Amino acid sequence: MTGMVTEIQRFALNDGPGIRTTVFLKGCDMHCAWCHNPETINAGRELHYYADQCIGCFKCVSACPSKAHKRIDGVHRFYRNLCIQCGQCAQVCYAGAMVMSGEEMTIAQIMKQIIQDKPYYDDSLGGVTISGGETLCQLDFALELTKACQAENIRVGVETNLNRPLAVARVLLGQVDLIMCDFKLFDSQAHRHWTGIGNETIKENLQRLDELGIPYIVRTPVVPGVTDSDENIAAISGFLKHCKRMRYYELLNYNPLGAPKYQSLSRLDPFKGAKPLPKARMRELASIAARAGIPIRIDD
Amino acid sequence: MGKIVFINAFPADETFTLERRIRLLRERKLAQTQEKIDREGGLDEDDYGRVVSPDDFHFLPEANHADGSFYGYEGWSRNYAKLLSVHPLYCDPLDAFVGRGFFFMTRQKRSLWNPDHPYTELKAAFEEYNIICGIGSDGHFTPDLRMGFALGWGGILAKLHKYQKMNTAPENALFYRSEITVVEAIIAFLKRVSTELRQLAELEQNPALAQNLREMAAVNRKIAEDKPETLRDCIQWMCWFSFFSRLYNRGPSGGQLDELLRPFYEHDIAMGLIDDETAKFYIACLFLNDTRYYQLAGPDEHGKDLASPVSYLILEAADWINIACNLTVRVHDHMNEDFFRRSVAYLFKNKNGWPRFSGDNSLVHGFMRCGYDQTLARKRLAAGCSWMSIPGMEYTLNDLVKINTAKVFEVAFFEMMEQDANPSTTVLWERFEKHLARAVHTTAAGIQFHLTWQDQNEPELVCNLLSQGPVETGLDVTKSAQYFNMCIDGAGIATVADSFAACEQRIEREGKITWQALTRQLTQNWHDIDGEYLRQMMLHSERYCGGDTLGDAWAVRVSTLFTNLVREECVKHPGLNFIPGWFSWANTLDFGTHVRATPNGRHNGEAINHGANPTAGFRKDGAVTAMANAIASIQPGYGNCAPVQLELDPGIAGNAEGIEKMTSMIRTILETGNTLLNINIIDKQTILQAHKNPANFPDLVVRVTGFTAYFAMLSPEFRQLVVDRVLAVNGDDAVD
Repeated sequence: MTGMVTEIQRFALNDGPGIRTTVFLKGCDMHCAWCHNPETINAGRELHYYADQCIGCFKCVSACPSKAHKRIDGVHRFYRNLCIQCGQCAQVCYAGAMVMSGEEMTIAQIMKQIIQDKPYYDDSLGGVTISGGETLCQLDFALELTKACQAENIRVGVETNLNRPLAVARVLLGQVDLIMCDFKLFDSQAHRHWTGIGNETIKENLQRLDELGIPYIVRTPVVPGVTDSDENIAAISGFLKHCKRMRYYELLNYNPLGAPKYQSLSRLDPFKGAKPLPKARMRELASIAARAGIPIRIDD
Repeated sequence: MGKIVFINAFPADETFTLERRIRLLRERKLAQTQEKIDREGGLDEDDYGRVVSPDDFHFLPEANHADGSFYGYEGWSRNYAKLLSVHPLYCDPLDAFVGRGFFFMTRQKRSLWNPDHPYTELKAAFEEYNIICGIGSDGHFTPDLRMGFALGWGGILAKLHKYQKMNTAPENALFYRSEITVVEAIIAFLKRVSTELRQLAELEQNPALAQNLREMAAVNRKIAEDKPETLRDCIQWMCWFSFFSRLYNRGPSGGQLDELLRPFYEHDIAMGLIDDETAKFYIACLFLNDTRYYQLAGPDEHGKDLASPVSYLILEAADWINIACNLTVRVHDHMNEDFFRRSVAYLFKNKNGWPRFSGDNSLVHGFMRCGYDQTLARKRLAAGCSWMSIPGMEYTLNDLVKINTAKVFEVAFFEMMEQDANPSTTVLWERFEKHLARAVHTTAAGIQFHLTWQDQNEPELVCNLLSQGPVETGLDVTKSAQYFNMCIDGAGIATVADSFAACEQRIEREGKITWQALTRQLTQNWHDIDGEYLRQMMLHSERYCGGDTLGDAWAVRVSTLFTNLVREECVKHPGLNFIPGWFSWANTLDFGTHVRATPNGRHNGEAINHGANPTAGFRKDGAVTAMANAIASIQPGYGNCAPVQLELDPGIAGNAEGIEKMTSMIRTILETGNTLLNINIIDKQTILQAHKNPANFPDLVVRVTGFTAYFAMLSPEFRQLVVDRVLAVNGDDAVD
């Protein structure tokens, strides 16, 4: 079995407890307008083009079967519309101007990397986080990876948008050690507007997540002008009151690091120039959330 | 002669809390650092607590050789006594202690090696392989300060006289005469200091500061001959020993600081002489006086943790003064977890590179492989940039002997291309093996040569006094130490391993370039666009610290070879225990200038890799764990170090959970086989701005190699090196 992996990040400190390795799976059923990992949305391989890395060797011109790379007046030009995402150019571009995102990997290939940091997971009570894209979009693969980790006594956490019926998702979510799930917008219409999907399934899942007997963390990415209203945070935190196994509700400040990736994928960045919220506002939102009587964290 | 004293700098009615004194002393320290930069330019080395010499103070040593320099017992003792007799006093009435140095005598003399003992034949090989041979080098071992505390200078003088009578052979006479000259000069100097302090007290208009000067005068009068009794006596004694040894030849390292101070602290507390705030103030002033290396905590000889209330006070004092402090916390199985966590928290709070951490298990088990027992191995303390030493018991040349293995690789590579019709990594390895063996063998011969003649070149007249052997036998420590654990460090492991890996991957496995084409590119320094393309290809091969890569495998092979070759020299030189390590110190840049372009995509003259660290860009995610695992795998494993140098973003531990994670990371790095861990906590934006305008960041301290230094003090080239390292890890392009 293989899975489509965007990246494996070792020494990950922000994806769950302790020191972890995060496996980013490719493909997501939501299309959040603010996504700071836009390359993880599409399920297939994609080419990043970083023009500032180009050394002008033109090896890509001869490697490209679809003539997406051209030499015009001694200058390299890339025509995204002609690109068939075959990755031939990236294979000869050692300077890093062309980089393919997405690699079919076996469980064994991933485990070879994961296992190298086992002493760090053991001492820090960390482990592996399976993230996305959306983990549940590659449910079977994520499950196999979880089993492979657990066979090595490595704890597994998953990051998920919870947009699959629990009856389907529980095969994985009931197996892991920690669930980290998003609840972005309380209003379903707004949720649909900004992510492409309504939030009914998410709400239903959150109401039943305790059934799994697995601890979980609920998080809201605080996006300026989208999820950062008092009402949204108050409504979500109020909704989470009944969540008995929830460790805490976390407010994640807006992450602006996705901008260069949008550019490299020739995509429009809807949040270009947006900045994280001031710390004071984050604390204000945290105090609003705390009124629900649930444990709160903010990442300031 | 111009003293540096700050008398009547404050009005008579000004009052001072300890807090304010520390703040003012710290401000003065930063101003003095800026003065050093303005007057002396950048220096790629430790701060040493030195200040700029008064304008009207010049010392001209007396030559005792036709070449215009001075050598041997006579030359050194005479010049040292002369220098002490005229050396100006440095006194700050805000400080608890007096004494600050301006320079080292070694840097005042013309030639460092006595030309009566040439080593022409060895020199040829040293040059061929770019070896720093250590011949004529000094210090870099640890005297036992407790010997000084137990005897005082008067007691040391008496001990010299006692053994002078017992050892009457002609070769001992010069030793004792010289040592007695040195100690008498020290005692006279301290008495003069005391007198001058009394005079300054008379001049000082502020009663509190005048009282402090009178107390300083009393302490100095007492410790001129008597042994120290109180914590203040003890630390003043340490400050002066730093001064005396640095003035002589830059000096040695400190020792187990908490245990050195504990008896005096407990005495003073029991007698009601001081409270913890005063003790902390004294310790903070010690750090201000000198940036000497000290170890904290770690196991006693039975494995019990040494952390005590004094250990905590030391951390608090370092936090208070917050300058370049070279403190190492020794991490072991029975660690005081609270103390460990506290030390990690200070590292992240102050972001000044202290403390660093050493790994007891790897160090002790490694040293025991040399044939020593566990008790002795536990006494071998973190003592310098990369090195360990047993106070008072060994002579080492630690961190002074280095083989540039990147140069050895270059010699092997071009020899193969000239002489072998069918080049391959197998042939290259055989040639590398042959040349490395010759380099190691010559280096060991150089050490033997140094030990034979160093007493006639530069005897260790200050450190001899606190070592077991010299005074008792009448011989310099280079001939009388209890143990000779001689350091031989390799440098350039990543450059070599990555070069082997790139050749294997791109030439032999993938067939993307031929040996001949590569050689052409190396000769031409990848000069045109094709060259740059091929350079990028070689550069992005499977590198050392990538995580189970070809580069990692070659690094293990290179380190194993180097280790075996160094250890084989022990058989050839009975009585000497050669210990391998991987460390380049600040020679990273200079070593690079001697090596032309290498197959790992490095340009002609570029720096080789730093110590045991990988080259920049070793992994896209810059994973610390991948790096630490790889460095653990290349540890030579005989008690010396291949340090891990980490550059971390401050955001990584901005809360209690982050501190927990970092504590765990540090413990695991050391438990998985690593020996020493240096950590810089530096924000990328800060380091970039500081690189542009160093003067705007006068208090930015970085752990450069093993030592900490003010960033602004470093040369532009070395600043660039630090910047590159910071940018190389935890890259922004990692997902999430």
